[in-house]
Amino acid sequence: MTTDTPVTSSGQFQPSDTIGFCADVGGRGFHLPNAMAIRDDGHLYVISRSSQIHPKGTRIGICDVDHEFYGEFSTRGSGAGEIIAPTGIALDSKNQVYVTDEQTNRVTVFDTDGKYLSHWGERGSEPGQVSGPAGLIFDGDDNLYVSDQWNHRIQKFSPDGNFISSFGEAGTGAGQFDAPWGITIDDTGHLFVADWHNDRVSKFTLDGEPVMSFGEPGREDHQLYRPADVAVGSDGTIYVADWGNQRAKIFDADGNFQQSLRGDAVVTKWGVDYLNANEDELNARTTFDPFVKVDATDPWEESARVEGYFWNPTGIEVDKSGRLFVVEAGRHRFQVYDRA
Amino acid sequence: MVTTQTGSDLAGIAHLLRRAGFGATRDELEAYTAKGYDATVQELLHPSGEPNYLPDDILRRYHHDFQDIRSSVSSASYWIYRMVSTDAPLVEKVALFWHRVFATAANKLIQAKPILSQLDMLREHGMGSFRELLIQLSKDPAMILWLDNQDNHNGAINENYGREILELFSMGAGNYSEEDIKECSRAFTGWSIANMDYMAIKMRNNTARPYGYIDWQFEYKPEDHDNGEKTFLGETGNFSGEDVIDIICKQPATARFISRLLYHSFVADEPPVPQWPLQEAGNPEAIEILMNSYFESNYNIGAMLETLFTSDFFKDESAHFARVKSPVELVVGTLRQAGGFDGPTYDVYASAAACGYMGQALLNPPSVEGWQGGDEWINTGTVVERVNYASDMMGDVTNTGVQAIIARLRRDNEGVSPAAETLVDQCLNLVGPLPLPADTRQGIVDFTTEQGAVDLATPEGEASVAALLQVIVSTREYQLV
Repeated sequence: MTTDTPVTSSGQFQPSDTIGFCADVGGRGFHLPNAMAIRDDGHLYVISRSSQIHPKGTRIGICDVDHEFYGEFSTRGSGAGEIIAPTGIALDSKNQVYVTDEQTNRVTVFDTDGKYLSHWGERGSEPGQVSGPAGLIFDGDDNLYVSDQWNHRIQKFSPDGNFISSFGEAGTGAGQFDAPWGITIDDTGHLFVADWHNDRVSKFTLDGEPVMSFGEPGREDHQLYRPADVAVGSDGTIYVADWGNQRAKIFDADGNFQQSLRGDAVVTKWGVDYLNANEDELNARTTFDPFVKVDATDPWEESARVEGYFWNPTGIEVDKSGRLFVVEAGRHRFQVYDRA
Repeated sequence: MVTTQTGSDLAGIAHLLRRAGFGATRDELEAYTAKGYDATVQELLHPSGEPNYLPDDILRRYHHDFQDIRSSVSSASYWIYRMVSTDAPLVEKVALFWHRVFATAANKLIQAKPILSQLDMLREHGMGSFRELLIQLSKDPAMILWLDNQDNHNGAINENYGREILELFSMGAGNYSEEDIKECSRAFTGWSIANMDYMAIKMRNNTARPYGYIDWQFEYKPEDHDNGEKTFLGETGNFSGEDVIDIICKQPATARFISRLLYHSFVADEPPVPQWPLQEAGNPEAIEILMNSYFESNYNIGAMLETLFTSDFFKDESAHFARVKSPVELVVGTLRQAGGFDGPTYDVYASAAACGYMGQALLNPPSVEGWQGGDEWINTGTVVERVNYASDMMGDVTNTGVQAIIARLRRDNEGVSPAAETLVDQCLNLVGPLPLPADTRQGIVDFTTEQGAVDLATPEGEASVAALLQVIVSTREYQLV
């Protein structure tokens, strides 16, 4: 216990809730969740990536901020409507659900209740082909933008999967990428890309013209290390899932640092239900410190030991009210923050 | 025995790389040979900078289960990646050596991440001071829970760790008394982990609820430490755990035990450890040399390894192919020969599982005594697994390592279809060099002759080479290291 553990810095955003539960065989909860999409009415679609060791763990769950769990759909596999390595999720204007799969190199489409509709995509580097599709987002015309991580580009498709255009190439310069992951489009029609291996977030026009980028590799507040996802609020505030630093970071519209969140999880409804049914564990938690001081300096190791911290924040979303959601793959949950 | 390689320097370095690593491709061997044997030993012992391997961020980004700290399959797969892709193979080989000695199993701990942390510790300290290594081991959370030191209290000792640190980790049976075990245990009272009550319940209930497992960390509880006077191995004082380790390290029995362990793992198979009190070392002179190195270097394992790798008893041809490959040596060595991993792939789980099918489930040794090795690796079931695994890997012409062998054959044969005998010798050279008994080699030549002329420029020719490689890695000699 020799190192002071960094904590959430002061700022506008304060923790308001924690939603999740480790459910590696299906049911209420998630297993290794890595991305989320928000429906118009506030329903939350959460990908459980899981693994081949837990074949029933891979699926998409639907819940809301009131801890209501509405069910789940899809399962692990390579058949129609099945997923192996789901990576990104987005809803179109009809609330149809689109899911990328970086293993099968597919985009699979479900209706809003989770009924399988179609899938498309093939592996390759030619226009329209993909290699490890990751983040995806729709523009106002329901055209779909997909981060094509191992081709280091963004591709634009029609809603039925026909290739329209692409931009970007491997590199570190403006307009170039190194394994891009999460993407989003803001209210002004600009595309933001979490450029994983370049440790930055880049902003483009929808035609692929670079507008700005920010971030540099490092552990300081204003720096990024392997950003996984990006979201933009209606006021232009930019939110980044800073995977390598195990933090969520908030920047203003010009990319200036505002606040760093380390994670503030508490046990809420689904977890409380479980503990109430397991008295020995409930009793043992009376002496348990979920924010124990750690003797490691690697943020990943810190997060492995501190239940309340983010562990592998891979998805970040902001809803219409400005409420922030941070999806943590390592802790089977997401944390919710409200603007004070 | 027919030797098919060309040049004893290369054969010697191939032997070094098999023992101090997991083997090497022909390109790697030639690069090391150009540097020379002694320079290669130094590079293995002192890799410059941080080792390169497939980066954690790329692996963890793809394999989200690598952050599910429960799964030993996931954690073993992560280690397979590191062993296959590292450019500092001795660091991993030494971690594997200590994993076999300080055997700690996920099946009791219910979570594997603490063992991965233990491996990080072994990478950091495995070639340094044995004293520091024992201190770190005694503070290691996985070891604490594996041997129940959380239940070792002032006034109510649990002897499990106190016994094993003497019997299996440092001195060997027969060199201490039952009273020494009790006194040793008293010195380690209060060495525990943080949040012990909740962690113990989660472990007992095998539960990942509500938010997954939580990794452990060492915590010293001074109020639970026995500060009374202790008499240990003939010395008396108010000993702490560190004091006890100091006394252990200066014992000739410790020097002998560690020397035998190193000889057993890096030079030649010895009888199983439990037989050591009754059976002398196979090469007492070599053990004496290593013991001297232990004391002269102030208990430094890296110095002992340098002594070992540069000794005549290691370099002598009689030591070549004198040990049975452990399953991990077979799997990782074959993967490296076949080209390794270009990036993350779910295929890695099959390789991790294959080690288990062959009798060496990483992070799950069968008991605190670890794996004994030697002939015990081989039975009718495991030999089939070993042959099938190696054959599958080397029979896949899409593997980059197989492609590299085919490219070499094309270059060396300059567009001419090689005679069967030539082709066999060339392949034995590229896979090893792998010396075979004359009758085995002739059998492979006959097999190749029956395949007909091999046109290396065609897919059929590639398939013929792959079939030949499959036969080669199915030989008895390929099972040796």
